[in-house]
Amino acid sequence: MNRTVLIIGLLIVAAVVAILFMGLGKDPAHIESPLIGRPAPGFALKAVGSDETIDLTRYRGKPVILNFWATWCKPCWDEHPVLTANAQMAGGRVQYLGVVFQDEESKIRSFLEQRGWAYPTLVDQAGKTAIAYGVGGVPETYFLDKNGIIVAKFAGPMSAEDIQTNLQKAMK
Amino acid sequence: MIAFLLVLALQMKVPDAEQFVGKPQGTPVTGEQLHLRTQQIGALLRCPVCQGLSVSDSPAEMAVNMRGQVRELLSRGYTQEQILSYFERSYGQFVLLKPKFNGVAAAVWILPLLAIAIGAVIVVSKAKKLEAAPAKSNGQPATEPEDPYLARVRELVEKP
Repeated sequence: MNRTVLIIGLLIVAAVVAILFMGLGKDPAHIESPLIGRPAPGFALKAVGSDETIDLTRYRGKPVILNFWATWCKPCWDEHPVLTANAQMAGGRVQYLGVVFQDEESKIRSFLEQRGWAYPTLVDQAGKTAIAYGVGGVPETYFLDKNGIIVAKFAGPMSAEDIQTNLQKAMK
Repeated sequence: MIAFLLVLALQMKVPDAEQFVGKPQGTPVTGEQLHLRTQQIGALLRCPVCQGLSVSDSPAEMAVNMRGQVRELLSRGYTQEQILSYFERSYGQFVLLKPKFNGVAAAVWILPLLAIAIGAVIVVSKAKKLEAAPAKSNGQPATEPEDPYLARVRELVEKP
């Protein structure tokens, strides 16, 4: 009887250690998104550098890469040329969208004029759109398929490979 | 110019809680009570860009925005459960400072308690065995065989 009890006890301890190990091995900055597989929260936000309001539903029918960023975020500076180059290569097949939060439009415009832009950048007042998407920090990117379903999330600055890997999920 | 900005503001649309958690199920909160309830609910939410700080305690802009959203939802009549559900829908259970008792969170609570219970069963069972062992030997002479060396020494010493 004692042997059985001991084995069960050891199994429980092993399970607890495994759970703790899994927790310790995780990057605390990386938050799993519960939105994967769900429709992307809708929004219509003002585009930087124009008086136009862009509604997300406008791009239904093609994959969308939604990049949350800010001009005060250094990794976003590094990511910006990668996104711009990939957006230019994609042409009209994939829609890239930038959403800037916790920032000022004049700074965003100045940043884009200096570094170039290849797709619309929108201003998220009061961060409501970022909160609805569960953004935990910038840069953070969401990949939407042609039906507007979120298929992937990437936290941190992306390389061209990261974009392609996640875009493939959105293209399926 | 003001009219133009007003038209632009009307055109703008941000994700609304109603499409995620339905219509408000409570009564709108105002005044001092609104401030108090915002602090209370903010204390239950984790600031996603901070190190272990609640939305109420953090000065980060993200936390300020989240507090603003809690305040707005309360003033529209959303209940605490609806507001927590709204944030959980976007961030997952990570955003709740008091995680729900299910899934892995439940295992983390239950397994150590189960391990302690099993340990207690082992200790009690061993203790019972130890109690029973001396009881068996009560009233019986020691029957341990004598060491042959000691037996030889005794024989030589006791020899007249």
